[in-house]
Amino acid sequence: MSGKQKTENKAIVYLIPVLAVLAFLDFYPISYSIYMSFTNFNEFHFFNYSFIGIKNYINIIKSGFLWQLLEQNAIYAFGSVALMAPAGFIIAMVMNQKGLRGKSFYRTAILFPWAYPAFITILIWQGMLDYHFGIINEFLESIRLKPVYWLGTPETAMFSIIFVNLWLSFPYYTYVFTSALQSIPSELYEAAEMDGYGVFGKIRRIILPMMSRQIAFVVIFGFIFTWNNFYIPFLLTGGGPGYSTQILITWSYMEAFDYLQFGIAAAYAVISILFLLVVVIIANHYSKMMSILY
Amino acid sequence: MLKINDRGKYYRRLRIIKRIVSHLFLILVVIFAVFPIYYVLLTSLSPLQNLAQVSLKTLIPNPAYLTTSNYRTIIYNYPFLLWLKNTLIYSSSATLIGLLLAITSGLALSRFNIPLKRIILYMMLILSLFPFVIMVIPFYFMFAQLNLLNSYYGLIMAYSGGAVIFSSWLIKNYVDLIPKDYEEAAQLDGYTRTGALFRVLVPIARPVIIFALVISFMGPYTDYALAGQILTSPSMYTMAIGLYYVSQGTVSMNYGTYSAFSILMGIPIFLLFFAFQRYLVSGFSISMYK
Repeated sequence: MSGKQKTENKAIVYLIPVLAVLAFLDFYPISYSIYMSFTNFNEFHFFNYSFIGIKNYINIIKSGFLWQLLEQNAIYAFGSVALMAPAGFIIAMVMNQKGLRGKSFYRTAILFPWAYPAFITILIWQGMLDYHFGIINEFLESIRLKPVYWLGTPETAMFSIIFVNLWLSFPYYTYVFTSALQSIPSELYEAAEMDGYGVFGKIRRIILPMMSRQIAFVVIFGFIFTWNNFYIPFLLTGGGPGYSTQILITWSYMEAFDYLQFGIAAAYAVISILFLLVVVIIANHYSKMMSILY
Repeated sequence: MLKINDRGKYYRRLRIIKRIVSHLFLILVVIFAVFPIYYVLLTSLSPLQNLAQVSLKTLIPNPAYLTTSNYRTIIYNYPFLLWLKNTLIYSSSATLIGLLLAITSGLALSRFNIPLKRIILYMMLILSLFPFVIMVIPFYFMFAQLNLLNSYYGLIMAYSGGAVIFSSWLIKNYVDLIPKDYEEAAQLDGYTRTGALFRVLVPIARPVIIFALVISFMGPYTDYALAGQILTSPSMYTMAIGLYYVSQGTVSMNYGTYSAFSILMGIPIFLLFFAFQRYLVSGFSISMYK
């Protein structure tokens, strides 16, 4: 594992199958997409598209819509992670108290959102958030609050997307943090209790320092996953109302399959990845989370 | 003496209050997690065709009004079992292939000093940034050229790469934590290095392998974006496409059939999660001491 050992050239044999599969199933299609982003591939040039340089990118930047998409994508991804990760952490802390009864019941019950196909549950949430017939507004009315246009205004639609994402993802974060909490030796807790630390003292002095790299890893990968997570905006709001909940990747999908502008669609996807790459490089610079990968 | 006793009582009371608050909090979390699924179950058993017809008053249903007609419609009027079989063929073959690749590469990345290891790991990270959705168009043209559209092989192949990178990382991180003594002991017993790696480390790494299995299975099982483009004949459909097909009513979405279908579709993946639940905690571990 350290760099001082002699490199073992023969061992590359073990990686050949996986590298071959990645070349065929990831590398080739991705290169093809990147190439497409430099062509005028659309419904009019379906069989005779040609290389047009960076024209697609220039058009996208000129259109001004890109900045709106980037902003919305950032709100969606940051907002989701900022809710999901702390929620998972708090639930894991409460659930893992020493001697708490019913742990396994709670742990099993919260599996439901994770173990259910997401595209089904997103449509269920769409029904529950409906203005006229949804059960959430019915509940609000029963406690004499005004019903809300959950999916009807830009702000509430974005909020609903983040909220549904919280529902979908908090079990995963709870499980991951449970696993991390359990790997902290119990002697450390006992020592902290002897020193008279309360819950927050323990969190600050033991749990956060011990788990900092895991937290960084989980948060950054959560951000990457959410940034690209297409299903929630696509199914819950369809990017609406207007374009207020479109993110780069849903817009890329619309350009491709609704407007048949395959070149521009690919360019939007490439821009999305470039932005993500910048975020990962910056995050890695501060957290050194990549060192976990070696 | 009395004073110490009082303090003891105070702390005991405080602890009881803390317990009660914790349980209340967790019960609220559980209600939040389970409610939408319960809502669907109720809709699937109600004779009405509209999701919205389940209201606050009918949340605790009267058994006399429940019906299984939605389930019967799906089983008798649609090739549900065929779609289930298809989905299980696609998902389990792809998971198996992906997992074998991930075990091999995970073990190798953990135990061997492979040339360019760092570059390979970075390359894998960059590839994992690309969302599955943007591969749909290239895959479509690739498979059209290879005559793999609308076939089992094509879709299995496409899915098998889906979770390989994530699974390799998980397995590598887990195996990093296993001391080298185990496989060295096995080598002293006469195993080759490769034999020792696979026979000794794979059983020890079972929690993470099962964790990777569950995660990899979930992707193809629920995929709609790719299957929807590559499969054209109903006899090749997966459940995800079948669900879409079935719930298209003549006027609006048919929520009764939709709900019943989604309950049926949820059951297999549910059983998988619950059967392997304990590995979901122990499998995900990242080394803290490196």
